[in-house]
Amino acid sequence: MKKGVFAAALAGLAATAVVASAAVAGPSGPAAPAQLAQCTNVALGFVGPLTGPAGFLGQEQLSWARFAVSEYNRANRTRFRVALGDTRLQAPVARTVARRFVSDRNVMGIIGPSESQAVRVGGKLYQNANLAAVSGSATAIDLTKGRPYRTFARVVPNDAIQGPTIVNYVQRTLRARNVVVIDSQDDYSVPLAQAITRALRARNVTVSRESVAADDTDFSSIVANVGSNVNVVVFATQVATAANTLSNQLREQGKRAIVFGTDGAYSPSQYKPRNGYVSVFAPDLNLDPRARAIVRAYNRFSNNRDFGAFGPATYMATWVLMTAARTACADGRLARAEVVQQVRRTNVPSIIGPRIRFDAKGDLRGGGTFVIYRVTNGNYRPAVG
Amino acid sequence: MDWDKVVQLTVNGLTAGAVYALVALGFSMVYGILKLLNLAHGDIVMVGAFIGWGVLGWLGGAQDPSVAVWLLIVLMVLAAMAGCGFLGVAIERFAYRPLRRAPRIAPLISALGVSFFIQNSVLLLWGADFRGYDSIDLIDVEVGISWGPLSVWAIRLIVMGSAVAMMLALWLLVTRSKLGKAMRATAFDREAAAMMGIDVDRVIVKTFFIGSALAGAAGVLIGLVFFSFNYFTGFGYGLKGFTAAVVGGIGSIPGAMFGGVFIGLAEAFSVGYIEDFTRGRLGSAFSDLVVFMILVLFMLFRPQGIFGKPDVKKV
Repeated sequence: MKKGVFAAALAGLAATAVVASAAVAGPSGPAAPAQLAQCTNVALGFVGPLTGPAGFLGQEQLSWARFAVSEYNRANRTRFRVALGDTRLQAPVARTVARRFVSDRNVMGIIGPSESQAVRVGGKLYQNANLAAVSGSATAIDLTKGRPYRTFARVVPNDAIQGPTIVNYVQRTLRARNVVVIDSQDDYSVPLAQAITRALRARNVTVSRESVAADDTDFSSIVANVGSNVNVVVFATQVATAANTLSNQLREQGKRAIVFGTDGAYSPSQYKPRNGYVSVFAPDLNLDPRARAIVRAYNRFSNNRDFGAFGPATYMATWVLMTAARTACADGRLARAEVVQQVRRTNVPSIIGPRIRFDAKGDLRGGGTFVIYRVTNGNYRPAVG
Repeated sequence: MDWDKVVQLTVNGLTAGAVYALVALGFSMVYGILKLLNLAHGDIVMVGAFIGWGVLGWLGGAQDPSVAVWLLIVLMVLAAMAGCGFLGVAIERFAYRPLRRAPRIAPLISALGVSFFIQNSVLLLWGADFRGYDSIDLIDVEVGISWGPLSVWAIRLIVMGSAVAMMLALWLLVTRSKLGKAMRATAFDREAAAMMGIDVDRVIVKTFFIGSALAGAAGVLIGLVFFSFNYFTGFGYGLKGFTAAVVGGIGSIPGAMFGGVFIGLAEAFSVGYIEDFTRGRLGSAFSDLVVFMILVLFMLFRPQGIFGKPDVKKV
């Protein structure tokens, strides 16, 4: 009897909670952020892989996002904070994270999503909730083509720039005639690898395709497939140590091909081939004398945490959102739609390139440029960009 | 047929297989004694890799080690074995022993919890970055056996040799020692073993220690030969080790050894030839499909594995 009463009470409570949450959410579903009549304690939702196979990239991005918030709050006496959303590099999880942030009335903008797949599953939700999302690393072309997600923007160039940059360099400068292109079976690398393959084949370069799992650490059997006549292995990866292992295993098996890594492969402490290349969407601040002050400040902030290209780009994405929110709050009230409008009008100096201004699609005005670094015995120097 | 490629793939498969076999042994030993799938076993492998990394850093790093390279590797392996052995004992004491008389689903869920606990503890302690031993600074990749187009790096030889040595030592322990006899008796019938005067708790603790120590050694070998690992790496190796244990016959020590090598070779050859066999329809991305199809086929047609015996019950 007691059990029955308890179950009925529980069911009643659950039903009340459902009705109450529906009433709060209103007819449009998400919370009504326009009613938030104060600009302090504004949260920015960080959406990226904080754990899982790409957790190290998300952690770097989060660290730079927090650094940006700390610097901005200090300089402008604001009280922005970062709310965490771990996608684990899984689309269904990213959708859950998106739903959570959409329904959190304090969240006024999304730092990210970091991965293209997380934009695909969350982009419409952010759009319907009028929530601005500014990514520092989602580079897939389709995210802005035809403007499917109207509140999405990115501070880095897209793969329509990266693909041709790599292809030009591989074919014209390295004069490669025989290339292997490897993807790591994720939404980032597969389209990029396919685009590079198509473009190289169009230029009469012989291309073989291979594929590895994102968390693979042994490529020795892939290397056995690399012929002795192959000049370059293009590896579209988000993991620098994977590119390093591939390079070592090519040497181990006496193959003369060099590795050309992309984006995530950029890491002077982890990708240290005897001879190799890497293309990346943002320059390395460690190698830029003009960035000494900010690198020093970040090292102080993070206790000398190692970083590559992903962190500084996310710093800029966070900065864009905070600038937009602060401008939108000039009248003491802040609504998500105002932040979206202000993000579209962004015109801020950048630590990773020219001033950040967005075109109508949410891409960088002018497209931006990718940087190619040549790596010799672990030493990086810019080759293009 | 490209025989150079075949030989190279065989070497690759044997190296990976030796590591899988060490992981599978831990699965098999624990299952044999407790009928428990220790889902945290892969994470113990990962902890072993981190302990080895810590010892390497403590002794000056790969570029400038303060002791001879062979001694450095031995110390890394021993430290990882000891650390992981005690970790295994702690897991058994706090996560599995209180549930020994609970329904079988309870320790399984507890094992899953332990797996997440270890992963997140390592994430908290060392972050999510990939770590590496930089083993090419210890022994250059060009040092080893070169025979025509075939080249085998010295580290691969060390990995295969030490894995085989550890497996032989374990086999001798289980078949020739008093402890081994107690382990076999406990695996056969725990209650009867207790009635014969065997301290079953102590045998289980020792089994966990040995199985986890082997996982720790596997972690160091993975770091040495495959260069990198992070807090999440253990999951994949755990899954492959489990597959190897099932294929060989879970609970059987020779089965685990055979299963490891079988899965290692299957994986290497599927990467090398899947595209040719499927006329370009499937690429190397599908090598895991082959490996786990083998698992499914064994579960369907020979669930006891190659070396296992069918579980006959009186009705």
